[in-house]
Amino acid sequence: MEILSPEEIVESFKAALGSSFIDSKIYQREVAVKKNLFQAIWIYVKREAFRQAVEHTCKLQEYPHLSIISSSDLGDSVGLIYHFTIYYGHHLKELSLGLCINLPKEDLKIPTITDMVPGALFTERETQEMMGVEIVGIPDNRRLFLPGDFPQGVYPWRKDEKGPHDLLRVLPGREKK
Amino acid sequence: MSLNAIKRALWVYHINTGSCNGCDIEILAVLTPRYDVERFGIMLVGTPRHADVLLVTGPVARQMAPRLKRVYEQTPDPKMVIAVGNCGLEGGVFYESYNLVGPVDQHIPVDIYVPGCPPRPEAIIEAVAKAWVKLEKAAEK
Amino acid sequence: MKDEGMTTTYTIPVGPIHPALKEPIRLDLKVDGEEIVDVDVIVGQVHRGIEWLGMNRNNPIQNIYLAERVCGICNICHPFAYIMAVEQAAGITPPERAEYIRVIIAEMERIHSHLLWAGIAAHEIGFDSVFYLVWRVREEIMDLIEYVTGNRVTKAMFQIGGVRRDITEEQFPRIRKTLAYYKSIFNQLKTVFLDDRTIRMRTKNVGILKVEDALKLLTVGPTARASGVNKDIRQDQPYAAYADLDIKAITPDMLTGTVVGDVYDRIIVRLLEVKQSIEIIECCLEEMPPGAILAEPKMAKVLNTLKTAEGEGVGRAEAPRGEVIHYVRLEAGRETLATWKIRAPTYVNLMAVPTILKGAQLADVPIVFASIDPCMSCTNRAVVVNRKTSKRASFTNEELHHLCVEKTRRLSNELAR
Repeated sequence: MEILSPEEIVESFKAALGSSFIDSKIYQREVAVKKNLFQAIWIYVKREAFRQAVEHTCKLQEYPHLSIISSSDLGDSVGLIYHFTIYYGHHLKELSLGLCINLPKEDLKIPTITDMVPGALFTERETQEMMGVEIVGIPDNRRLFLPGDFPQGVYPWRKDEKGPHDLLRVLPGREKK
Repeated sequence: MSLNAIKRALWVYHINTGSCNGCDIEILAVLTPRYDVERFGIMLVGTPRHADVLLVTGPVARQMAPRLKRVYEQTPDPKMVIAVGNCGLEGGVFYESYNLVGPVDQHIPVDIYVPGCPPRPEAIIEAVAKAWVKLEKAAEK
Repeated sequence: MKDEGMTTTYTIPVGPIHPALKEPIRLDLKVDGEEIVDVDVIVGQVHRGIEWLGMNRNNPIQNIYLAERVCGICNICHPFAYIMAVEQAAGITPPERAEYIRVIIAEMERIHSHLLWAGIAAHEIGFDSVFYLVWRVREEIMDLIEYVTGNRVTKAMFQIGGVRRDITEEQFPRIRKTLAYYKSIFNQLKTVFLDDRTIRMRTKNVGILKVEDALKLLTVGPTARASGVNKDIRQDQPYAAYADLDIKAITPDMLTGTVVGDVYDRIIVRLLEVKQSIEIIECCLEEMPPGAILAEPKMAKVLNTLKTAEGEGVGRAEAPRGEVIHYVRLEAGRETLATWKIRAPTYVNLMAVPTILKGAQLADVPIVFASIDPCMSCTNRAVVVNRKTSKRASFTNEELHHLCVEKTRRLSNELAR
């Protein structure tokens, strides 16, 4: 497995995804006294080509390391970022690779990747319960962190009406926000 | 004042209702040779049925509230409850969170509060000593 | 007449309140006789909604102190990763001296955390005297941490753009004294843990995690390195002063020559990492660059920069338990963070628990579960089910712990024969 530079990685994604590739960003920073480079790549893809993008990542690195799936409430849409890292095990050459997908709030569905990356199970369950995204094909549908009696339809990470505004604990002597 | 109510040294049961572990490792450090509370006979037991003192840490998370009540009911009288750490007092840094159901004294009566995030081991030893004195005074009445 | 064909399951709930593990978690273990067939891990008892608080109630500087209280044991790595993410999003560069001080504090925390784990592991096996001795030894590093930072547990050393307190030349001799003490007793620690016959018998070939499983289930930290996976952020991705040092990920074949992936290998990895941390701190003390410790000393200016900044950042740090990652998104004009995602190492390592525990014996559950070094408050949580008689029996964790200790006694008696 050869180690590509960030620009080469972006080109390979463009070639693999074609028209579903929206945009990319490369971030580099010099670190400490010897000025080694910390590198991170962000790749924006359309939802239809999401599984293809993950397959392409598996080609770049066997068993890519998925750190977490982060989700942001962007008003009308929800942005998901799958934080991968590739080239671990090589001294000072590891890259952070983020696959960014935008989902409209009317249709919050995305396919699962637990067949390619079995370790994604917990983080997919958490995204489901905290943001309200439906992961199609997930093997285990239960809640992860929230207790069983937490009301359905309340999603803690949302900033709209579905957030946990009614469940906040009001301190004695203060009013409810 | 003589120590008559409890015929042997105090046995302590520790329950964690969702804390960050800072208070818990300070409680364990109290047992180790530097602070060595076992020379007074104070021991950490494994079940609330043997305990005289309940050490409660953590802001009470939603899932742990019924269990906290059950443990309190399982502990035989006379008993004392010590809330260790800022979280037990008013939620600590986590006040206003959606998954917390209030400080410890909303669920069980608390006798001694130990502020600090986390409190030093010396403060925890002082709290257990104060609990002992309070138990004695309550038994004298 | 015996029914051989009928297998029924026992469900023994372990947790969430148990005396052996100091944190609430529930394990549902399906057991066939004494052997474990399946495990279900149920977490959520420590969920405090920290990400929500960071996004809605606090400004970014207050979040540092909130991030510290995610876990009381790995107290430095969470603010470390958070601050790296915020600095990436806002475009702030910390000075070089601050990077070195951050590494010194992080390595001190690693020493204290591994010694804490070693004591707990000894307690699970039944060697309570080793537990007390190791925690006494740990008090030396706690004294040093208090000398350098001001407090034992929550240290509050980090600030956006640098560190809050300096480590001056006058403090170096005291630091070197403690490091010399640890170097002098390191061989004793190694002998106590690695050469003892009973510990070998209890931990060798128990709780094995194979390389492919570790890679597929995304395990991190010493749990993965003990199985031979070469993942260590300090070696692979340049961050803080680690980029200048030459760090190698520690795998058990450095000591024994082979990699098995059992509990014994995890003890080896953690003990050798203590030695590595001592060397890293010494190296940093030698090569500490002079200069300022904060990129911008006035906090009001920093807050202003953060309020008008726009961007996203990812910060990854190597905690004593594995990889910690924080993702931060800043929006211009917003006082709180727009998005904050924390992921602690035990979150991922818990997924490996069913695979590790399959085929293990009931009495091995406490030591195997403790060997992945679980920190539930970082993650945000064993019901044992016996197949043969289908009775619901409640094993408290105290009973499991007793089983574990009894097995040790039985084995030592056999060894003595």
